[in-house]
Formats: sequence, C-alpha cells, structure tokens
Amino acid sequence: MRSTKDMDLVTMNIIESTMLSTCREMGITLMKTSYSTIFNEALDFTCGIASPQGEMLAAAEFCPAQIGGMPLLIKSCLEEIPLSEIEPGDVIVHNDPYRGGLHTPEHTLFCPVYVCDELVAFTVAIGHVAEVGGMVPGGFPSEATEIFHEGIRVPPVKIKKRGADVPEVWKLWLANVRTPRYNYGDMRAMIAGVEQGAIRLAEIIEKYSLATFKQTCADLLDYSEARMRAEIDEIPDGRYDFVDYMDNDGVSDSEIRIEAHCYVDGERIVVDFTGSSPQVAGPINATLGVAWSATYNAILHLTDPSIPKNSGCFRPIKVIAPRGTVVNVDFPAPEVGGNTETHPRIAGAVIGALAQADPSRGMAAEGGTHLNFVFGGQDQKNNEYFACYDIEVVGWGARPFADGNNATDSINGNCRVIPVEVFETRYPWLTEEYSLRQDSGGIGQYRGGLGTSKTWRCLDAEITCTQLTDRHAHQAWGLEGGGPGAPGQTLYQHDDDAPWQTMVEAFNKRSTSKWSNVKITQGERIRLLTPGGGGWGDTGARDPAQITSDVADGFISKGSAIDDFGRQVGDKS
Amino acid sequence: MSDYLLGIDVGGTFTDFVAYDKTSKAIDVWKNLTVPDDPTSGILQGISRLEDAAAIRNLRLGTTVATNAILERKGARIAYITTAGFKDIPFLQRGHREFHYDRTWSRAVPLVLRRHCFEIEERILSSGEILKPVSESSVRDVAQRIKELGDIEAIAVVLLFSYVNPVHEFRVRDLLHELLPEIPISISFEVLPKWKEYERASTTIADAYIKPILHRYLGDMETRFHAAGVLGKVALIKSNGGEMTPEAARQQPINLTISGPTGGVIAGRAVARELASDHVVTLDMGGTSTDCSTIINREISFTTDFEISFGLPIQIPMLDIRTIGAGGGSIAWIDKGGMLRVGPASAGALPGPACYGRGGDQATVTDANLILGRIDPSNFLGGAMPLNPAAAEAALAKLAEPLSMSIAQAAMAIVRIVNTNMVGALRTVLVERGLDPRDFALMAFGGAGPLHAAELITEAGIPRAIVPIHPGQFSALGFTLADARVDLERTVDMTSNRFDESRATEILQDLVQRGRAELEAQNYHDDIVVQSTLELRYLGQNYELEVPIDFEEFNAENRARLWQAFHQLHETRFGFKIDKEVIEMTTIKSAVIAITEKPEFMPLAANLRRTQKQNRKVYFADGAHDTPVYARADLRSGETLRGPALIEEAASVTVVAPGQRVAVANSGHLLITQEGSS
Repeated sequence: MRSTKDMDLVTMNIIESTMLSTCREMGITLMKTSYSTIFNEALDFTCGIASPQGEMLAAAEFCPAQIGGMPLLIKSCLEEIPLSEIEPGDVIVHNDPYRGGLHTPEHTLFCPVYVCDELVAFTVAIGHVAEVGGMVPGGFPSEATEIFHEGIRVPPVKIKKRGADVPEVWKLWLANVRTPRYNYGDMRAMIAGVEQGAIRLAEIIEKYSLATFKQTCADLLDYSEARMRAEIDEIPDGRYDFVDYMDNDGVSDSEIRIEAHCYVDGERIVVDFTGSSPQVAGPINATLGVAWSATYNAILHLTDPSIPKNSGCFRPIKVIAPRGTVVNVDFPAPEVGGNTETHPRIAGAVIGALAQADPSRGMAAEGGTHLNFVFGGQDQKNNEYFACYDIEVVGWGARPFADGNNATDSINGNCRVIPVEVFETRYPWLTEEYSLRQDSGGIGQYRGGLGTSKTWRCLDAEITCTQLTDRHAHQAWGLEGGGPGAPGQTLYQHDDDAPWQTMVEAFNKRSTSKWSNVKITQGERIRLLTPGGGGWGDTGARDPAQITSDVADGFISKGSAIDDFGRQVGDKS
Repeated sequence: MSDYLLGIDVGGTFTDFVAYDKTSKAIDVWKNLTVPDDPTSGILQGISRLEDAAAIRNLRLGTTVATNAILERKGARIAYITTAGFKDIPFLQRGHREFHYDRTWSRAVPLVLRRHCFEIEERILSSGEILKPVSESSVRDVAQRIKELGDIEAIAVVLLFSYVNPVHEFRVRDLLHELLPEIPISISFEVLPKWKEYERASTTIADAYIKPILHRYLGDMETRFHAAGVLGKVALIKSNGGEMTPEAARQQPINLTISGPTGGVIAGRAVARELASDHVVTLDMGGTSTDCSTIINREISFTTDFEISFGLPIQIPMLDIRTIGAGGGSIAWIDKGGMLRVGPASAGALPGPACYGRGGDQATVTDANLILGRIDPSNFLGGAMPLNPAAAEAALAKLAEPLSMSIAQAAMAIVRIVNTNMVGALRTVLVERGLDPRDFALMAFGGAGPLHAAELITEAGIPRAIVPIHPGQFSALGFTLADARVDLERTVDMTSNRFDESRATEILQDLVQRGRAELEAQNYHDDIVVQSTLELRYLGQNYELEVPIDFEEFNAENRARLWQAFHQLHETRFGFKIDKEVIEMTTIKSAVIAITEKPEFMPLAANLRRTQKQNRKVYFADGAHDTPVYARADLRSGETLRGPALIEEAASVTVVAPGQRVAVANSGHLLITQEGSS
C-alpha cells in the first residue's frame, strides 16, 4: 500500500470524480431507456467501472447490494472468460448466482475499454430484470427448492461480439422468459449504458495518459483502504457478537439463525458467520457474493460516508462464511431471496454487533425486507403478458440522535415505490389505501420509523401472485433499551364480507410470508403491512413535546402514549 | 425624454439592475446590496438612481421570495385534502434515500402537518371513469374541521387521477369556496395535471404553502412602487422564463420557484442568436452556487423534474437549470484521508472569503483566485471593496502545509478541483440529454463565471467560451429580454396502436386555448406564438423524449411522421432504436408565448485610446506568466488578443489562459478559443 503522502491527491480527486460522473451518465441511459418498472421507476440497478483484474474502481450511487457485489462478480466472470478471449466491441452478460452472482434476476453486463489496443478497464451495469422465467412470473419463486426453479441461468457469455449482436444468445434467452418484449428493452438499455460508458472512459484515460490513469487507480484503491483502516482503528478492539433470525424459508417452519462475530483488531476487522444455520431447502440462502456485499454494506454504514467506494475499502475487511450454510450456499439450492431478505439480516447482525463496540455508531434494525410482491397476467389493454416486481418500503431503525425514517427502502436497496397512478395505469389492480402504520415504530427515546399499509383489489379475471418477504415473526430489534418494530403481515380477503386471512389460513400455504402462484381473481383483496423499525434508548428519555406532537399527527396512538411512554395526551388532536 | 425597460434581479447578496432606455438604446447597469428582510426597499433604493421613476415603462422582476419561503419554512399553515385512503402520500414520498451509507440522513419534512391532512370520499379510475362520486357530506365535514382549527391559511386539494378527469377536484374546490370563502385553494389539476400522485401533491402543497405570503408581499410591493412613482407595467419572471402580472403570480405563486436564475438563460439565448451559436451551455457562477442550463438550436431547454431539495419535487414546466454547490465562496478543506476537497459548504456573503476581511478564516475559491493573481485586490467590484491578500494567504497556508505544497500550488489545486466539480455538472446537463460537448459553446457569467471559463472549456472538451456583456448583471439583462409565456401540459394514455385522434386533438386545442386565455387575461393580445410538443417513449419505458409538432389536429399522415421522428430521436440520443416497437404518448404540452418588445445590443463605440494597465504575475497550470491586463471598456470590436490575458470590469474578471485567444464581437461579447482551432 502506497502512503497517501506519495500520491497526487489532486489528480486522484479529479479522475475519481470523472469516473463517478461517467457511472452516473451510464445510469441515466439505463433509467431512461429500460422497460421494467423495477428498473426505471424503482431504480434497482448500479453502474460501475472495474479494472482488468475485476477490482471495482468506482460505482455510482444507485443500489448498494449491487455495489458490494461487484468485486466478486467481475472476478468470477473473468475466471471463465479470460482477458485473452475478450475483444473490442464485446459485451458480456451474466446472472448466475453460482458464478459469483447475487441472485437470478440480477443481470450483469460489462464491456471492455481499450486504449491503444490495451484492455484497460471494464464498464459495468448490474440491473434487476423483472422476469426471468422459472416457476412464477416475476422472478421470486418463494417455494423453490432448487436453483432450476428460479429461472434461466446465464453463465458469462457474449451477447455482443466485436460490435454485433450474437443472435443465438438473444434467442435462447428471450425464449425462456414470459415478457420477451420487456426483457429485450431492458437488455438494450444496459448494453447502451455500458457502451456509452466505455467510450467516455477511453476519452478520460487518453486525456490523462494511460500511465497516469493506472497509477491513479492503484492509488485510489490504496487511498480508500487507508481511509477504511483509519475508520476501523477508531472502533475499540474486541470481539462483538450478534444473532438475528429469519422467520422461515417458505417450505418448512423452522427459523433461520444468522450469527455474526466481529473481531476488531487495530485497523482490521474479521466478520465470522460461523454458527449461522446450515443452508435451507427454500430460496433464502445467500451466495458468498451476498455475504460479502452485506458485510461491506453494514460497515460502510458505520464509517465515514465520504470514503470513495471501490475495492480498496474492502481490503481491511475479512469475511468468514462457512460453505453449506445460509450465508454461503452450495449448488444447487435456491437463493433468490438471499439477496433481498437475507442480505439485510446479515448486514443488521454486523451493525448490531458493532453497536456494542461503540453505541454512538449504532442504528436499530430496519424492517429488513423489500416485500417482493410479484405478479403476472394478461394485459387486456395492450394484449400481451405482463409481469411486475413490486417493492414496498419499511420503517428504519432509530439512531442515537434521531427517530428512524418512515417508509424507506431496506438497507440493501435504494428503490422508489411505484406511484399508485402509474401502477393502476399499467396493472389491473385498484389501490384502496396506502398509508403509514400507526404505532409500528419501536418505542424509545428515539422512535423507530413507521412501516406502511397498502390494500389492493383485483380488477381482472385472474392475476397470478407470489410473495417472498420476512419479519412476519421476528421483529426489527431496538438498541439501548429501545423496543422492536411491529412485524409485517400479508392478508387476503375474498370479498367485502369475508374476514381478512393470512395466506396460510386462506390458501393452506406453509408460510404467511413466502407463498407462490396464488391466483387472485376479480374483487379479491391483498393487504401488505410492512414492518416498522426498532427504537433506540429508553422511552423515559423521550422529549415530552415530541410525544404530544406524535399523537397530534397520529404517528402514535393515545393508547401508545399512555401504555408505552407513560404520558397522558389531551383529547385535542 | 427617457423611456425605460428595467430588469431587476434580487439575489442573496446584491440586487442587480439593468435599465434599457428605449429612446437612446443605451443600457445602464448597476447593483446595490439586497435587504434580505425587505427586498422591496433594496429595489426602491436602486430605482431611486433613475431621475424619474415615471419614465419606467416596463419593470420586470426576478424574485427569490417564493423559493426562500419554502427553503426557510416560512410559508403558511395549510390543509391538505385528498382521496380517502391516501392522506399519507406527502409523508410516504417515494421511499428512496438521498445517500447510501449515511445513517444521519433524514427524510424531507413535508410543508403540511399530518394532523392537517384530510380525506374525502370519492374515486376516479385510471381510465377517468368515476368509481365513486364525490360525497358532499364528507367535504362539508372536512370544511367544518378546517373552520374549527381557525388558523388554516390555504388549502391544497389533490385527488387521484384528476389529471385524467378533473371534475371531482372542480366540485371540491367549488364547495370549499362556498364553505370557506376566505381561504385560497390550490387544486392539483390547475397546478400540475400530470401523473404520479406524490410529485403532483408536493407541487400543489408548495403552491398553497406560499400563496398567502406571496399575496402579502406582492400587494405591499405594488403599493410601495406606486408611492415611489413607478406607474408602468410591473411583471414578475416565472420559472419558465416568461413574465406574468402580479395578479397571475398571486393565483399560482409556484410559478415563481426559480424566477431569478432564468434571466441568465434568456439573455444567453439572445446572445447565442446574435453570435449565431447554435448550442450553448450556460454557467452562472455566483458566490455560493453555480447554475447550468442548455440552449439547443438557439432554444431554451425545459424540465418538469425539479426538486427544491431532495424529496420535495416541484414539477411544473420550468427552465432546466441545475444547481451545484460550487461558487466563489466555496470552502476548501482536507478530508480525513488527506485529500483536498472544495465545497459544498460556502462562506456565503458573511463572513465571506478570507480576503473579504470580515472574519472568514477558511480558504475559498475567491481566495485562491486572488493568490493566483487573477483578481486585483484593489479593483474588486470596481474598487468598491478592497480585498486583503494577506488574509487569503494565511487561510491558504493552513491547507498548503499538510499538502506539502506552496501557497500558489494549493491555490491552483483549489481552482482545479472546483473546476472539476463544475465540469461534472456541465457534463450531466449535456449527457443526460445525449448531447456532445464538442458541439457547444460555454457561456460564462455571474461574478465568478468569467474567471473560470477559459480553464473549464479545456477540461470539459468544449471548443469555445463566450463571456457576454454585463456578466455581473446578466440575469437582470435577461429580464429585459423576456416574453410573456404560459406553459401547459396534460398527461394522456395512448399508443401508436391505441390512438384516439379526436380526444388528442381536443386536449391539444384545449391547452392552446387555455394558454391564450391566460395571456388575454393579463392583457397580452398581440404577437402570440404557440409551440406544442409531445412526450413519447417506447411502450414500457418510463422516460420520454420530446418531439415538437407543427399542427393542432392529429391525422394519419402527421401521426406516421411523428412515430418516425421518435425512432430517429431515440437513436440519436441513446445510440439505438427499436423498429416496429409500439410507441406510447404520455403528455401533450403547449407553450403559448406573447412576444414583447426587446432591447437591441448596440455595437461597441470605437475606442481610440486604451488605458495602459500594468502587467500582473498570474499563475496558470504551467506556472506563472507575466500577464497583460485590459479594461473591458477599452476593447475594440473585431480585435483579437492572445492569452495569457486578464480583462477586467467592475463586476467580474475574464481570464484567458496561455495558448488561448480572445476575440471581441461586434457588440462586445468575448469569444475565447484555443489557439490554432477555428
């Protein structure tokens, strides 16, 4: 590692900013030209730049899970397609969780950047494609028991070769998905993004000279490493342990243990997940890429946000994830929920452990699920099959200095909720209400953020629905005496007069949170209640004026003010 | 006898004035300090410089009152009324965070309290069909509760799918007018008839939030103008760069959101046209921030994607101006890893840069420019404000030492970094629209813009820079060039396969008719121009490209042309098109413009004598140069000077780097290019 004293930090700042703006430019092209709502409305994608060795040099701030996953992803692809086989004009596509991927819907596209005939970098786009074939429309088969249920696996292959489409790959891929028109559009968008980025990056490198670029990138990784080491050094040395649980895996009832042991030693940290459950039959196993990504995500949340995000940040962090466990799954177990549901539980366990080392850096648990409600059916208006991946948002954990945020996407995503007016224009549902859940935040000196409630009524003959969520049983934990957030719930109602039921009650499913291929017909309702965040500190320390105003605004009920906070709030509301 | 067209831009520190005398065609510019608590008194102070206020025929004003009321949370106490089941939309927002990995971030607080959000029974479907009619009793109940609260000053009404079918919003508005006649109401169909309920709600709430304060401010201003003898036509500059009467501003104050910065873009377009420069990117660099915008094919660019701060969208059609936190007052600092950074924190006007000698001790971009010899400490603001180089040096020394740099090197590093930040912003405004910087000219103005233009074009790959006349009062100059303009738009749901020609024609003609009526009501009758566009995308995409149309009635022939134009545009912007794909039309837009009388730029007077200024030592990327200094007023039209050079005027300094040359255009604009280029 070069000392920062020997680096040209001004040039580094300039090249890093320019690489970041290139990544953002790529992202804008993706957003503006893609088809899936999960892409263009929810922004579930990331754009980055990698070195020829697969190290991440820069990534724009789109989706955190994908940023942490990028280093392993590109390295794995390059093991299969060596640099010697890559040519100018190639674009490589990949989604295989068992080749360094995160989960089946996440597609990685990258293309080489050449300067004077030398391959000097890759531009990378990672995006969540809503439909990937498999047992359910929308890519979240929550009752899957093997990877083959989850849709088409794409090992790293060239989708463009020397600048021309490879028609065999396109045909094979599009024949295996339910919405080929949409998939085609999404793939075109990602290709346009990485190709545009490659042109731009080559210009930058030519401008500063290849030698300067290479030295700067090496320095940049060292710089981020030095910054991360300095941050870790501030955390008191010691061993810190934390355990959290997932409700179940969708095909059996037993809870799943996520155990994190953090060993802080000077400028280094080892995070050991030994003790976590063996891998499970259902699709919530995490790949090694997810375990790395989640650990990095947690530590980036607890350290200075201004550290440039690249592979250098991760050098002082060692992850031990025993094979064959829920945090490092072996082929051919299913894993689609590992990236969305298990990731936040892993990240949360690391945050929970390190909060013991330094409570001021802590944050109580967030709702920790993306709700992953997916559905498909026949679009009457445009006469074609549709599939939608709907994300809902959760309450975030309270902090040592403020309440948790309400209604915010879980820690490994940064997605936007699809507006009701867009949703109803595109899909045959009527949204009857969308609101904050009163009293769903964990109590404490600082209150957990509130979860949400959304009720849909089906307007079509039949919609095939599936969900893969969690925290119906195990709530978001509080810290320093703060209470847990309310658990989530998914409910079904047959008609106006019928009772609200869980999916276990109504359809005899194994799990209330993970259920597949339920046919919902006209007039039937689904209600998604999302979990609240954990609280921080003792309720007795809460500012009384805040309690009064929370009651007046209905964030908490009068009952909660009395029972949980010990305060009578007057009738005036 | 003088006959003035007066442009006034009220900024955070200075109020700028440009007076164009229609009789003599002379342009006079000046500035005085802004009175933050009472902007009108600063305006009146400046007006008093004119001998006869009655000689002001037209007064056009750019104001930050609306923006400040929102940013400083000084608006009214409002109520929000919406469809049953959806009163939390302003609080739910969209669910994303401004930053990753930053646990200190908190979600934007809406401009309305949740306790003042009310629901009424009604529901319209995405098709416009009424599922449930308005329950009048539920409206009466809400009105009663608002009355009981007693302190609600304005109401925002946002019902689902009102952009498809507004009848429910109209009914609720009429009932509320009847029940609560004293309280002004904003309905979303009139503010922003566009899909996405949070964005529409946020915009409508902001409109209601500033209505009472703007009502008071404008009333007071008109009274005092009158008392001061200003009897001409007074107009305010809207976010779309058009003027409107104070009465129209009271009706829909949200149109004033980015009033001031539009002036530079309007003036930029006039200069671009005069210089026959097709594509221009404007850079308005002031003390705390820099605004960028584009002029493409000599036309201004618009957006409906504005957020006043993260999570608070205001999506009315407005000039596409992006702001970044980089200005003369941006503070340089060293991060934990030893890296030098600049901004976004700013020293502002108070204490200001260290060299202002008002107690600032942190090095800013202005301090760096002073140390590099680019600013003359004795000639800042024409000598009105002497600077203190020793204070700048002391502040810079604190950075230079840990960086193991000389003070001049540290100053150069600061300038390079702030330039990189601005290049990022320039690239974003260009590349987001699929534009190539090589096709552009950079027009730099604002107090600090001309100092940075020369180096910015090199960094951004832009072939030339333009420093227009009066760069320090360029926004106010732009106001004298503004037209009256109404922008209207409406969301539709049609595709190339499912197209209702008569409905589309009806909506288009309704927009044009409403625009005309709005101008008529403000007394603009002549020289009306209509510009209509459609927002199109491939079915499934979520962002549109805008295709202009030259007809007011859809037919098979012009539709076929339309789809073709879209495919073409998509390929140009994104590098690919999808032939035979279904195309979706999401929005119909019309701009109705009343062309107003404008100043002409006069040729420079023939200067025979040049004031001899002393050469100065100025630092550039390749080291110090003995640099000639010119007074801008002495330049002759048609002459070319070689860099390095400094060109000084009261409100700014233009830097020309070694290896560049600067040509003086007929009416005094400066054109900087690389030596050897065409």
